[in-house]
Amino acid sequence: MSASTTTDISQQRTFLIDLTRCTGCRSCQVACKQWNQLEAEKTCFFKGEGYQNPPTTSEHTLTTIKFRDYQKHGQNEFAFYKEMCMHCNDPACVSVCPVSAFIKTPEGPVVYDTERCIGCRFCMVACPFGIPKYQWSKALPLVMKCTGCYSRIKEGLIPACAKACPSAISYGSREDMVNTAQKRLAARPDKYVNRIYGLNEAGGTSVLYLSALPFNELGFKKVTMQPLPSFTWAALRFVPAVFITMGSTLSFISWLTHRKERLRKEAEAGKGAHTEHKEAKP
Amino acid sequence: MTALQRIRQEVDDYHPFLKLLILLVGAGAAAGIARFVFGLGATTNLSDTYPWGLWISFDVVTSVPLAAGAFVLGAIVHCFHIKKLEPLIRPAIVTGFLGYSLVCIGLLLDLGQPQRGWHVFAYPNLHSPMFEVALCVMSYTTVALIEFLSPVCEKFGLHVPLRVLRTIEVPLIVLGASIATLHQSTIGTFFLIAVDKLHNLWYNPILPLLFWISAVFTGMNIIIVEAVLVHRYLKQPDETELLSTLTKIIPWFLGIYLCLKLYALVFLSARPLFDRPMLTVLFLAEVVLGIIVPLILFMGKRIRTNGSLQLLAASMVVFFGLVLNRFNVSMFGMIQKNQQTYYPSFLESVVTVGIIAAHILFFALIARYFPIFEHHPETVDYEIPDHFQRIDKHPVAEERV
Repeated sequence: MSASTTTDISQQRTFLIDLTRCTGCRSCQVACKQWNQLEAEKTCFFKGEGYQNPPTTSEHTLTTIKFRDYQKHGQNEFAFYKEMCMHCNDPACVSVCPVSAFIKTPEGPVVYDTERCIGCRFCMVACPFGIPKYQWSKALPLVMKCTGCYSRIKEGLIPACAKACPSAISYGSREDMVNTAQKRLAARPDKYVNRIYGLNEAGGTSVLYLSALPFNELGFKKVTMQPLPSFTWAALRFVPAVFITMGSTLSFISWLTHRKERLRKEAEAGKGAHTEHKEAKP
Repeated sequence: MTALQRIRQEVDDYHPFLKLLILLVGAGAAAGIARFVFGLGATTNLSDTYPWGLWISFDVVTSVPLAAGAFVLGAIVHCFHIKKLEPLIRPAIVTGFLGYSLVCIGLLLDLGQPQRGWHVFAYPNLHSPMFEVALCVMSYTTVALIEFLSPVCEKFGLHVPLRVLRTIEVPLIVLGASIATLHQSTIGTFFLIAVDKLHNLWYNPILPLLFWISAVFTGMNIIIVEAVLVHRYLKQPDETELLSTLTKIIPWFLGIYLCLKLYALVFLSARPLFDRPMLTVLFLAEVVLGIIVPLILFMGKRIRTNGSLQLLAASMVVFFGLVLNRFNVSMFGMIQKNQQTYYPSFLESVVTVGIIAAHILFFALIARYFPIFEHHPETVDYEIPDHFQRIDKHPVAEERV
């Protein structure tokens, strides 16, 4: 059932975000807001962790650069982390949505159909990266999430953030992006931690990261390496069998007990008739 | 006298406690309206960190197993043919029907787009546990409604529908029990997707099975709690003797549940288990007060004849073994380290209190106006095909006292 086993993911469009090349200029944030026509947020400095602004992604901010200060050789350094939808190969949000409002497109991005959503927010509970956000300000709210600029991809463009980024984001087929990442890791083992985040996380994602700092120190979530839908499917696939087993077992037991009862009653009636017959004879 | 005056007179007649309940239900309804006027963000403490709060944890995840009495007792009485428990079945069905109806109301309040509820049928996703539960809860509510129609038809002397209901009674019970098995367990499946969120104390692959077993024994315990309370406060006969049959079945389920839970903890759970003191305390409270202590009580002899002891043990199972367990899984266990904690807002609490009050209120009112405690088969014309031997053709005028 999992998308990763049935479809070839090597050609899916993938972001390679090299965090060592990120300068924290946040033009990706700006481009995202402009392309998606998202409202501005009232923010202030140092509300969240350090310089990052706004402090978290939200219904108005679908991608954000997280800032992390650290010391290296006695010098203050910055590390950055571009938080966005990971566009998993086998996404949890797609599997849990009761009305199929999420779709993993063949091109790669995971998109959301605003017309279908009933607002159960299971996607928010299920997403291991905490990406879907909710329009809490509205009476009949919808989910907001990065679409991987699906509308731009359809027109042959690349996503707004990738286009705006001066240094860190590469965009292309997953195969190429994985190769590029591996080459960079091999060429500068001193510069990077030896890991491509997203290669296997949550069963593999269409966003890959390289970093100089260990990923957990940057605020990356610790996630399983298996596709998340496999966890629920392990139980859910038994549903038809359980229904049939339960139904037939109970039916059989009912039939058995009622038959026993009927036989008992008939025996009693027979005995009664017999004694009556006896009594009538003399 | 106009209808309005008549209703007012009728309500004036109610016990003050019922009037208080009416007030609470009214407050809950007002809070529910406020949710739609001002939005979820303004009226609840839900956030992107806590997309599910009190309404999901209590009104859905906890209320569904609390309403399990109907399907469990239905199966015991009609499938396993333990006939003497039949007097308990109507109150259980009323509780089940009310419980599920209120689950639906709670769910509609919590949904962001409740007017699109029908999309579940239009765009089904077979891989979604939520789809499965939505479908099952809707169909089970329908089944429970049909089962509840029996006393309604008796009340109004509708003999023909009553005959139909009698004929389909057993198939309906089997269908209801099968559907209930599915959604009771699938609510556990919800949390299997939260593999890196739910704490190891509760996350294990057999969570759906544990949810189903705990729903079954909770169903029986709820019946005990209900019967004892109804005896005390609604002047119904003392059912201690009947309930003793249930007290003999319950320890089996509690025992199996305890074994499976410990097995899952030791062999199927990731480590570390006891790294967060608060969660450890909650887990121990659930296991010790909710399972082990009542298990010991239920295995004793004294509980067979002692109504108060039955009430105590059954309430412990319900409050610690079930309610606390469901909150642990759906709320406390999902809170990450160093994450701000969630408290339900005033409005959220008012709605939930209103839903609980509605349950008690409607139960008391149905008990007042419909024959749910007294069964009068002799008043019914039973000239119908009776394949299941459900009808006593020569009713003995035998009053249960």
